[in-house]
Amino acid sequence: MKGEKLRNLSFFLSPMVIMVGLFYLIPLVFTIYISFTKMRNWNIERYLTEVVGLYNYQRLFHMFQHDPLMRTVLLTTVVFVGITLIINVFGGLLLALGTFFINESSASAIRLLWLLPRMSPIAVYSLVWYYFFHGSEIGTLNSILMKLGVISQPIPWGQIVPWGAWSIIIFVNGLVGVSFGMIVFTSALNQIPKELIIAARVDGASAWQISKRILVPMMKWHFLYVLTWQFLSLLTTYPHLFLLVQWDLISRDYGTTLALYVYNTAFGRGEQDQGLAAAAAVLLSILGIIGGFVTLKVLQFEKMIHEPRGDIE
Amino acid sequence: MKDVETRPKKGEWIIVSAILLASLPLILGFALLVISSFSKDMVTNLSPESFRLTLENWINVFQGKLAITGGIRQNILKITLNTLIVALGVSGIVTLVSTLAGYSLSRMKFKGRKLMMLLLLMLHAFPGVALIVGVYLLYRLTFPQEPSLVRFYSFFYVILARAALEIPMSVWLMKGFFDTIPWEFEWSGIIDGASRIRVWWQIMLPLIKPGILAVALFGFLAGWQDLIYVRTFLIDQTLATFIEANIEAEYSHMPLIAAAGTLYLLPTIVFFLTAQQLLLQGYSGGIKG
Repeated sequence: MKGEKLRNLSFFLSPMVIMVGLFYLIPLVFTIYISFTKMRNWNIERYLTEVVGLYNYQRLFHMFQHDPLMRTVLLTTVVFVGITLIINVFGGLLLALGTFFINESSASAIRLLWLLPRMSPIAVYSLVWYYFFHGSEIGTLNSILMKLGVISQPIPWGQIVPWGAWSIIIFVNGLVGVSFGMIVFTSALNQIPKELIIAARVDGASAWQISKRILVPMMKWHFLYVLTWQFLSLLTTYPHLFLLVQWDLISRDYGTTLALYVYNTAFGRGEQDQGLAAAAAVLLSILGIIGGFVTLKVLQFEKMIHEPRGDIE
Repeated sequence: MKDVETRPKKGEWIIVSAILLASLPLILGFALLVISSFSKDMVTNLSPESFRLTLENWINVFQGKLAITGGIRQNILKITLNTLIVALGVSGIVTLVSTLAGYSLSRMKFKGRKLMMLLLLMLHAFPGVALIVGVYLLYRLTFPQEPSLVRFYSFFYVILARAALEIPMSVWLMKGFFDTIPWEFEWSGIIDGASRIRVWWQIMLPLIKPGILAVALFGFLAGWQDLIYVRTFLIDQTLATFIEANIEAEYSHMPLIAAAGTLYLLPTIVFFLTAQQLLLQGYSGGIKG
């Protein structure tokens, strides 16, 4: 019996274990190792065995202190994560509440519309915003404002530092993140007993009063969940920023967050410095792991795992 | 909301128009891209005169003519096919791995089960950028010496590596689907002497077809839309890297890029319209962004 169970378990679990081992555990060890080497330009033959100790970390901290470019990256990360997080959480909350109070068919159409940024290929999504914020008169925003007579010359939005560039990266990523909050909050709203709302309605409460007094207080847990989870995602997300910076829509300096900095340092154009990138990646992972634990605490993970039902033996 | 009787009608249009107003940039941006793909010039500046209807862009896209002059060509059908290979590969692997693992996490007791689920959830929260440096080193270290294998290998590797990113969430999703099936269904099979593997294959899998479809769909979309992994690992071009490269290229005819972008958007829209409920449900799982 015991042998059979082991055979079964390895049949069901080994593909997952292999995948996780190959693409999470080994790479993680590799990344940590690279952060202790002088690896650059992926010259593996030359640098793979050249261990330099904490040199990359010292360099990184030195840059944090003295390199104005690195300080810009850190500042951009803080502003980007902070403001986008607020937009994601409250935008999601507003959309969920808004669609809760309207008829079901408009509500699901709106939900689908707001899933579009998350679902569309990143390249297409970036292409859309490339034209929307383009700095010449072909840019949609510029042409609208010029037609309205607000401005007479096209404005290169993404090159106005810092707030022009920041606004664009916050806007573009904000739209992607809003759908996450929207969905979590919508499913939370659907679990609230209808009787509570109907009773409040009968008593003459408005949608605003119902939201403020009944719905929002009942979604505290979901609120914390979306907040911590989105914080973690924003800290480490970079694909949407990558193309906007690559295409020079936004200023390179004020459009680069720490995650994008890691990617561009390791794989970008010109001089690549994988040792430094790996050191920064290790720092990000530590932040990620701390954030992950906080999320789990918020989620009350223990309660989520039920004992499996009906196993014989 | 279903309590129609007591719902005041009059406030509704205010909410709808407020949301639509907020959605305007979104609608406008995507609409202009699709419209431009049918026009001689880009219509991003909202001038009706820049729109002149033509199917030329779409014809050129399929013929691979990148520029109006100069005869620069690229086989867009092959690029689309590459994108499709990656997407189907990711979808297949994610579905296989998560239906297997999801079953055992839902139904079998074993040591380390709890730890395994905790680890999966943590992995999903783990920063991808911290991994990609290591994933690339593994890629280089296992790179084949034989030149004829290189292209095949890069496809193989990008599919596996991209699928791995989706696995933590899809295993959790799949476990959730297995949890909803009453245990009695398999119980009868096991009493009759069928093995766990047989029960999984013959009784459980047919019962959770919607779950399998959802996971397969997410896997497909993940592979289809990926930019960073295909850019880093794949030698051949996909639609994502094609658009990435051509925005900056001097010779690019932009309405043609708009057509390629619209082509790239098509599966998303098709899934959108056919599988709305499935998508909305599945996405409440837990996602990054």
